[in-house]
Order: sequence, then structure tokens, then C-alpha cells
Amino acid sequence: MLTLLPLFLIAATAVGVEIALTRFFAVASWSEYGYWVISIAMMGFAVSGVVMVLGRQVFLRHASWLLPGLPLAMLLTGAAGWIATTGNGFNPLELQNPATAWPQLGNIALYYAALFPFFFLAGFAVSLNFVVYSYQIGKVYGYDLLGAGLGAAFALVLMAVLHPFHLVPALLPLLAVATILSAKGVWRVAALGSLLVAEAAIFLLAAPRVNEFKPIYAPLNVPESRVVAERYTPRGVYQLLDNFTERLDTDVSNNAGMLGTPAPPRAFGLYRDGARIAALPMETPQAGHAPAALDAAPYAMLAQPRVLILGAAGGFRVAEVLKLGAAGVTVIEPEPTLREALVQGFGPSPALPRDPRVQISDAHPLRAEGAYDLVDISGDFLGAADANRHTYTVEALAGLLGMLQPGGMISLPIGIRELPVYAVRVLATAHAALLQAGIKEPAAHMAVIRSAWNLRVLMARDPLTPERMEKLLAFAEARSFDISYAPHLSLEGREIWNDLPAISLDSGMVQAGAPSDAVAEEMRMLLAGTMPLDAFDRSPITADRPWLSPLVRLPALPRALERMEILPQQEIGLLVNVAVLAQAIILALLVSALPIFARGALRVPKAILGRALIYFPALGLGFLLIEIAFIEYAVLLLGDRTFGFALVLTVMLVCSGLGAMMVERVTKPAATLTWIALIVVGSCLLAIGLAHSGILSILDWPWALRVAMLVLVLAPISIALGLPFPLGLDRFQQEGPALLPWAWALNGAFSVVATPLANLIGHGIGLSALLLCGSICYLATISVWPRK
Amino acid sequence: MLLSRRALTLTGAGLLFAPAIKAQTPAWDRSAYVAAMAASGRPTEISEGAFAAIQARRQPTLARMEAYLKSRFGEADPAVLRSFAELPREYFHYNYEARQAAASNAYETEAKPWAIGFGSALSDYLGQAYMTQACQPKPDHVVLEIGTGSGFQAAWLSRIVAKQYSIEIIEPLGRGVQRIFAPIGLTNVETRVGDGFFGWPEVTGGFDTIIVTCAAQYVPPALLQQLKPGGRLVIPIGQPFRRGQFLYIYTKDEEGRVRSRKDMGVYFIPMTGTMMKTPAPVGSTPQ
Repeated sequence: MLTLLPLFLIAATAVGVEIALTRFFAVASWSEYGYWVISIAMMGFAVSGVVMVLGRQVFLRHASWLLPGLPLAMLLTGAAGWIATTGNGFNPLELQNPATAWPQLGNIALYYAALFPFFFLAGFAVSLNFVVYSYQIGKVYGYDLLGAGLGAAFALVLMAVLHPFHLVPALLPLLAVATILSAKGVWRVAALGSLLVAEAAIFLLAAPRVNEFKPIYAPLNVPESRVVAERYTPRGVYQLLDNFTERLDTDVSNNAGMLGTPAPPRAFGLYRDGARIAALPMETPQAGHAPAALDAAPYAMLAQPRVLILGAAGGFRVAEVLKLGAAGVTVIEPEPTLREALVQGFGPSPALPRDPRVQISDAHPLRAEGAYDLVDISGDFLGAADANRHTYTVEALAGLLGMLQPGGMISLPIGIRELPVYAVRVLATAHAALLQAGIKEPAAHMAVIRSAWNLRVLMARDPLTPERMEKLLAFAEARSFDISYAPHLSLEGREIWNDLPAISLDSGMVQAGAPSDAVAEEMRMLLAGTMPLDAFDRSPITADRPWLSPLVRLPALPRALERMEILPQQEIGLLVNVAVLAQAIILALLVSALPIFARGALRVPKAILGRALIYFPALGLGFLLIEIAFIEYAVLLLGDRTFGFALVLTVMLVCSGLGAMMVERVTKPAATLTWIALIVVGSCLLAIGLAHSGILSILDWPWALRVAMLVLVLAPISIALGLPFPLGLDRFQQEGPALLPWAWALNGAFSVVATPLANLIGHGIGLSALLLCGSICYLATISVWPRK
Repeated sequence: MLLSRRALTLTGAGLLFAPAIKAQTPAWDRSAYVAAMAASGRPTEISEGAFAAIQARRQPTLARMEAYLKSRFGEADPAVLRSFAELPREYFHYNYEARQAAASNAYETEAKPWAIGFGSALSDYLGQAYMTQACQPKPDHVVLEIGTGSGFQAAWLSRIVAKQYSIEIIEPLGRGVQRIFAPIGLTNVETRVGDGFFGWPEVTGGFDTIIVTCAAQYVPPALLQQLKPGGRLVIPIGQPFRRGQFLYIYTKDEEGRVRSRKDMGVYFIPMTGTMMKTPAPVGSTPQ
């Protein structure tokens, strides 16, 4: 239907711009702050519904020029908003210091001012379409969702060819097309003229730049620094740098000079979205430094081991492992660009030289096969790809334990430079994994060795012997590393080479007296079962809750805010999330209370208002809670957050749009709703029970087949999820047409609440809880359906 | 970038005729500040009133610093305080990217870091005071700093120690800061732009103290080699604007073995008015 094509384009552009802004913030600044800004800007959708409630009749009268005029206004506000966004001097780092935070809050307000008009107009345009075409709500909602879904897919395609700084200007022409399709004559001239002006203004005035405090800034600006290779992908912008600061970054002993080992070699630096993910070799990787590195610890106890390494550190890890005496090496590198660098080379960095002892496996880390003496996880594995955190779960580690030969072990790294509590959580995970693998006394199977900044947990298949522990001790002593825990060794009164005091949110005191080892103390409490319940989450990481951070517990949030300056960057996302949630709830309450202020405009009985007040928020919450859980499953299945996010978004929106278009054929809406709710609940329960194991079983399938399977699984539930909203709109507007824009506003406002809420539930309780909450929301819609 | 011949001539003249201005001398007034800024290639103007307002904040700042150091270490090192008192901090408030002086920000009541362009920041004066005292500087010491930044830390230490070296990796910042020491009479500071990984090997006797901003997973071996036995290598950790940066302090014994200590006293820079409420860290007095 041609009349709804402009709506399709508006929805596509709005979602495309939202994704483009997310990428802009990820590259130019830090993604968590972008999430904050965009979430609030998206409230424009909710506010637009409110405005529509208040002036519905007026807007209806002026619909003939508003419909073509709104995309034009979006085009201009979008361009102006983009220019203002790129010119904003926001420095997120200053937010963590109370003395410098206030001006930055002002900058965030300026972001709102820049972005809100665009999203408000987008929501207003959709809302107006609902009001104007209220006789075919299913189609309107269908075009809206189809546009949003395909807009997400279009943005994904653009990311493969354009730098994130060019995505917004590339999306804006869709709005000119929307106006051209909406009207003729002067509107078409105005559309082309506005597009020209908008793009010219962006070309002349927009100044997107990478924040000068991102890791890439300094190496990019040292004398004679060069970008020797660059690649744009939806996963991120990859840049390979050659300059004097770039070296293999591995934790070598402070005694390296005394040991006679060379410093880690020069390298290229590979950056993704401005963060360094690996060093890539300039020639055949050298590993003379390897015996002095903390990573060498397990090799002191194993003779000529067969090794599985997860994460190749650009190929350097392979050279190190061979230098340390490995008889054979199987390499799994899940990060696609790093894997390509390993196999084919990347820019001037050569591929890994062929060696009969080395095999590069295609397997997923959770589907690795074979029998090994050592599973060695690289120090930069966790940071190289978001999906790699799935290896740090109880279930994954228990699986890896099952691959060990007699006497074999896993070497699991974690950083302790800022908060040692992350390491404590990894210790708890390793302990739980040993239990899950059927080991009755995990204490006899664990050892912990550390430097000042990094730690390795060693998990053995068989009890660690005194001889092995003596070898580990000798290794540590020669390199000034500390053993925080080892069976058979009396560590009481030993010299601590690297003082590691505990950090607490509870106390303003610092215990910086005699050298201490906070990890040793935590390990003692873990084994005694007396872990403290303080500000930090020390629970094991599981497949249902596969996140190492944030680890500040929600009840400790006020203390975390007071002591924000000691929190590392990983924890800031939690604080931003809570801030977004608080603001979203306030707006949602205001939208909910609208009938109190605009009773005259709504003209419906209180009971109906009450039912609408549950029905539409439940849909706004339920849809997104389920969607976000599926996104997390997709991240595991596809091994990538961007693809997982975009694919689930596209499939769910497109299929929901198709579902919405079926509404006109529904003859018994109440019964249909009941069936839909049952399908949703059933699907969620199935996902809770089978999703993880099902995903694991197909992780080795080709990428296209995994995508096809995801689409196949998501399509039915997504089609079902598309019906309740238009069914409800249709039914509730029979009680009063003015309810329609309010319902839109409610749905929008609670959708904004749902995203940060889902993050908190997912990270705090787990994905199963998300699906259960989503199911409850859909069940609630049945109970409040207005009967005749 | 093209510089006009006139600008070059003026800058050259400024360098030739720049007075060796010493802070804390009667000569340090508005015109001396303006002349020193011009001589350092950062011409600016400031009113008498604004300059006087800055100077009026110096003594209260010094008092705050003394109270802070006492609360952290048990006592404030007089050399650290004297050195700070001798330096015109307003001279270091300059954004090298925007080419803009910001003297009026100096001696702020609530200590805070200030952006100086090119991804660098002038750290807050209490944090810098903590680090300066944690370095335990002595008159015969030779000190190396990796990451010159604003130059204030190097300037502060240079007033106490025999010789101060500093390396900056960002070229435009390093070139800019290189010129600021001579005009205020800091003749024992030597700087260069380049790679800090190899330290300053030409200084054959080694260093008593090395300060390094280190984002890598290890301390460059050359720095440990250039550290004298008994010397200290200090690494501030944490993003530059955070109030809670902390220090790793490495010491090398006579055998060349290295120990590290995580010093978190600097985490607790109190807000104005609450300074004395936060207890000193146990055993925080440097040994």
C-alpha cells in the first residue's frame, strides 16, 4: 500500500539512525554513554504520543500537510542534531570525578536537546499515521515494524562499507524519499532542496572525532605513526597501527633482565573502535621473552604438553607455547579478524608460518574436541571479543576439564590491576566448574599464581602433587611472582613480592601496612565457604548469566555512587543503566498519569483506562524483555554482538510486522490473544529449558545455517508477538478513539523502561528470569482484555 | 602548518629576551606572567584583577595541601610544600590543542584535573602532591618522568632534586611543553619527545626515581634496569580524570630484584570541608 510507504521509510530511518548513533558513540567515545543518550532521546516516541493525545483533533485536521511535512522536518532536525552531536565536547571520563562531573551533565543535556527533536518527530509521524489510518491499525503497525526491521538490516549493510561517522548522513535521504512519496509538486521540490541543504550542512559543519582519551589516541599521534591497514565491518572499525609504542603486551617478570630474556618484541597494534585488541607480528613471531612471562606458569609443571590455546594473541601465543616446549598446539581464534590475520595475514602483518606441530581449528571454543595436557587461554582472549566471555562460565570450564588428559590442566587468566574482585569471581567460577565436573575436593585441584597486575587460575583434572607445586613455587620465586593459593605449600609468612591490598566500597580506610595478598584471603574464604556478602558479587559465572561484570551488587548501588571514582570502566555501564532506568520510569509514570490531566481529551470509563494501563505497558515491557533474551542467545550462536543484535531485531520486527498485518483477519480477538499468550509462554519455557544446549549443539554449523536456524526459530514467536498490540489498539479504540495515541505513548514509554530493566534482570538474575518476566507480561494482557 | 615570518621573528625575540623569571620572587607579577607565557610560545593576556585573584588563592591552596599530606602521610614534606609554593601553577594551565591559556582555573578550591589537549590532563594538585611526596625526592636525586604532560609534575620535582628528565610521546604536546621550563628559570629540566620504553639510557648513573604512566601489562625492562638499587619506580594507574588514581610503587633491591606495592592512599582525596574526616591509611608514611 503506497500510502504507508512513507511510514515504512520513517520507521526505517529512525531505527537506522539509532543504530548509527550507537556506533558513533562506540567509536568516538564509549558505548555505555551512547546508550544513555539514545535511550533518553528515544523517549521522544513516548512524548509524541502524549502530544497526540492532547491535540488529536487539531492534528487530524492538518494531516494533509503534516504527513509529507514531518519526514522533511525529521530530515532537517536529524541533520542539525547530528551536527550538534558531533560538536559536543562531552568527556565521559570527567563524569567519574565529582569535581568535574557537572559540566559533563550539561553536555548530556545538550545531547538530549540535539537528538530529542528527531525522535520526537519520528514518533509523532508514526502516531499520526495510527490516528489518520485508524481503520487499518494492523497494516499501520505492520509497516511501522517492517520499516524498523529492514532499517536495522540496512544499517547493518551500511556498516560494512561506511565508517560509522558517515552512517547518519547516508540514512537521511530516506526521509526525502518519504516526503516525495507522500505528496506532489512543491513538496517534492522542498524535499530535494532540504536534502541538499542538510547534506551540505553536515559536510561543512559536522566534526565527528575520536575522543582524545581513548586508547588509540596516543599511539595514533606519536611521531611517524601510521595506519597500515583499516577495515569497516558491522563488528567495528579495525585499524592496524605501526608506531614505536606498539609491542606485544604480555605480563613479563620484573626480573626479566636478570633472567636474560629479551623484552617482548615490536609489533603492529590492532585496534577495534579505538580499543587495542591485539598485537600482530611484523615478521615471524618471536618469543624469547616467553620463559619470563606469567603465562608460562603451567609449562613449568608439564613436559612437552599437547596444548589447546584459546585466543592466539595475533600468533604470538603460538610462538610462545612452542618456545615453552609444547609438543603440539591446536589454536582456536574466535575473533574473525584475528583469525583471518592468523590464516591469511592482515595488511603488512604476515600469516602464521606453517608448522607441522600447529593446527588451526575451526571449532568454537565451547565445541572444541580432542584430548590435551593443557588448555591455555590467552591473556587478551576475554577482551578480544564480547562472545568470548561465554568461555568463562561454570558450564564451559567444566566442559574443557572433560577434554584433559590425565595430569592435564586449564590455565585461566584474569586482570587484577584495578579491582581484584573480578579475579575472585573467576576463582568462584573455577571452583564451581570443578564441582560440576564431578571433582569432590576442588581445593586439591586448584592453584593461583599472580604478578602485580595479572593472575592465572590453574585447574587440574587430577589432584595437584607436591612435586608439581614445588616446581610452580620455584617458577614463581625466580620471577618475583606470588602464589596466592596452592595445595601442599605452606604459604604462611612467605615474602609477598607484589603487595595486593583489598579494595572495599564499605570503608574509607586503606590498609596499606605490611604487604598483603587479597586474593589469598579471598581464596581461603571461598574454600571455607565463608565468602562475604558485601558490595561485590562473588557468585560463579553461569551460562544463564554469562557476564563477569558488572559485579557491584544492586543493594550496594548508593555506596558505588559515593565511591564512583574507584570503580573501573566496566562498572560504569551499571550506573548508566540505573540512571537510564530511573529517568525512563519517571517518564513512564508521567505518561501513565496523563488521563488525570487530560481526562477530557480521552473520554473513556475509568475501568477501561485501568485495563489499558496494564495492557499496553505489559506489551511494551514483555516484547523487549523477550527480545533482549533472544539477542543474548543470538550473540552466543553467532559469536558476535552486532550481528546477533541486528538479526534478532530485524527478524522479530519484520515477522511481528507481518503478524500485525494479519490482525484484520482475526474474528475472535480475545481467543486469539489467549492463544498468542500461550504460544509466547510455551516458547519462553522451551527456550529456558533447551536454548543453551540447543545452541551448543549447532555452534559448529556454517554461519549461514546458524542464521537460518535462528530465523526459523524466531519467526513463529515473532509473528505471534506482533498481534497483541494492534489487537489491543483496535479493541480499546472502540471504547474511545483518543485512547489510540495514549496507548502508543504507553507502549513507547515502557519500551524505554524495558531495555535498562532487562539489562539489570539479565545481569543480576539471568536470562531465564528475563523470559519468565516476559511471559508474565503476556499473561497479564489476557487478564485485562476488555470483555464486551 | 605555515607560520608567518613575523610570528617567527616575534617568538624568536621573545626567547632571546625572556627574563629568567623565578616564581615566588617579587618579579612574579602579571607582566612577568605575560612575558613568560610569550617566551614559552603561548602568548596570552590577563587583567591585573584576574591575576591578583589567582595569587590570592595560592596560600589557601598551600594550606589545603599541607593538611591533606598530613592526613595521608602523617606529615607533609616541607620540600614538597616549598617547591609547590615556588612554582606559579597558573603558568601550567594551558590547553595546547586549543592554544588557550586558562590561568584563572589555577588554585581551585576543590582540586580537580584539567584537560590540556592531545589526550593529556593536568592532574589535580592534591593527587600530584601525594605522588610527589610518595616519590621521596631528595636534593641529590636524578629523576626520570615518562609522560611530561603539562610539565607541572616535572617542574615540581625539579625544584627539589638535582636533575629532572622527562619524555613525552605525543609530539605536538612534547614540543609545546619543551619550551616552558626555561622562561621561569627551571634550568635543571631536560625533556625530549620520543619513546619512553627505553628510558633515557644516556644518563649512565641511573635514576633514583622513575615516574611512568604505563598502560601495558608490564613495566618496560629498560626502566627497571635504569633504576638505581634502592630507587623507586612509581606508576599512577587509572584514567586521568578520576579522583581515585592510585600508585604502584616498585623498588629494586641491591640484588636487582623488584618488589611492587599497591599504594591506594591517593584514592581518598577528600572533598572540600571533609578533608580531616578521612583517616590516613595505616602505615602510609613512605619508608
